Amino acid sequence: MRVDPVSVEGRRARFEALAPAVIEAVRRYLARRTDAATAEDVLSETLLVCWRRLGDMPEDHLPWAYGVARHCLANAERSRRRQARLFARIAAIDPPRRVTDGPEPPDGDLAAAMARLRHADAELLRLWAWEDLTPPRIAVVLGISANAASIRLHRAKEKLREELRKAGTPAGHEGETEGSRP
Amino acid sequence: MTDDELRARLRRADPARDLPPAAPDRVSRLLEETMTATATPAPARSRRRPVLVLAAAALVLVAAGIGWLALRPEPQPPLVQALPRIVAQLTAPAVQAKCVEPTADTLASRADFAFAGTVTALANGTVTLDVTRVYRGSTVHEVRIAQAGESSEQMMGSGRFENGKKYLVASAGGNMLICGYSGEADAPGLQDLYDRAFA
Repeated sequence: MRVDPVSVEGRRARFEALAPAVIEAVRRYLARRTDAATAEDVLSETLLVCWRRLGDMPEDHLPWAYGVARHCLANAERSRRRQARLFARIAAIDPPRRVTDGPEPPDGDLAAAMARLRHADAELLRLWAWEDLTPPRIAVVLGISANAASIRLHRAKEKLREELRKAGTPAGHEGETEGSRP
Repeated sequence: MTDDELRARLRRADPARDLPPAAPDRVSRLLEETMTATATPAPARSRRRPVLVLAAAALVLVAAGIGWLALRPEPQPPLVQALPRIVAQLTAPAVQAKCVEPTADTLASRADFAFAGTVTALANGTVTLDVTRVYRGSTVHEVRIAQAGESSEQMMGSGRFENGKKYLVASAGGNMLICGYSGEADAPGLQDLYDRAFA
């Protein structure tokens, strides 16, 4: 580890240049996944990690920052679980629902379909649609290979389509009857 | 449903879709808080800092506690405003010790603070060094070393601090490491030892 006093100002300048975009993106990332108070805490924590590990931050820093936020959020959820086991248990059983706290999404079918997906699949779709990330960048967030991200995203899309098809079909008319509809 | 349609449908359900951008003053406050939360970008070594803090505090930090502010585990040094002069205090041992060959590994594992600096003052048994580079530990601008004896014989080079000369100094728990681990910057092998230990 080297700390060069003269580079302190350089670090500050670099951080000040990239932090506003990181703040905005991570704020949104957290608003989509947790309550306002936790989002606030985790945003501060994420920024601190970015500042301390500025040297490790790649050129394409957003996916990396999302990855940091993801870990910080997981840690926050874990410590909350330790503090209030019952509350956390509910949160752990159904984390996606807490995301939709606040304004209720009008697309009930979609929310229901997303809730039926595996958490990992739903998260891939959120990173793709909400954070607007390509598979290689999703891979950075999740710490997996670009190839794996690509394959898993493809499958998650298929699963969501499947769930939406089911949801869009009146009760008792799923499966093969769906294909025969005009 | 195409990928684009699927994505558009998901986006319409984005909980952050109507989230207004953060207010500029909130962004700048966050930035400020983040950059002042720690004076040193050394999370990997942060565990060592409390040790240095306790030892340094025991040695009575100078400069109206500014040094302490910089060294405590969660410091709030006003780095944002005019950079204050951060001062750390060390003690140089007077004991005569038998020394074994110094190694970079030992230096890397033992030192919790290491820096390069130039002596600017020698008075009342205290050596004041202007820090030119911190190899490990919190960023400080000045280090004052209280010499317990007349000189530190185990220091590399001339064995004593001399005004205007540049030194490489390592310490553990507020105590200067001697036995070839601190000394004149141009003492044979010392710079190389530091470069290898703190690479």
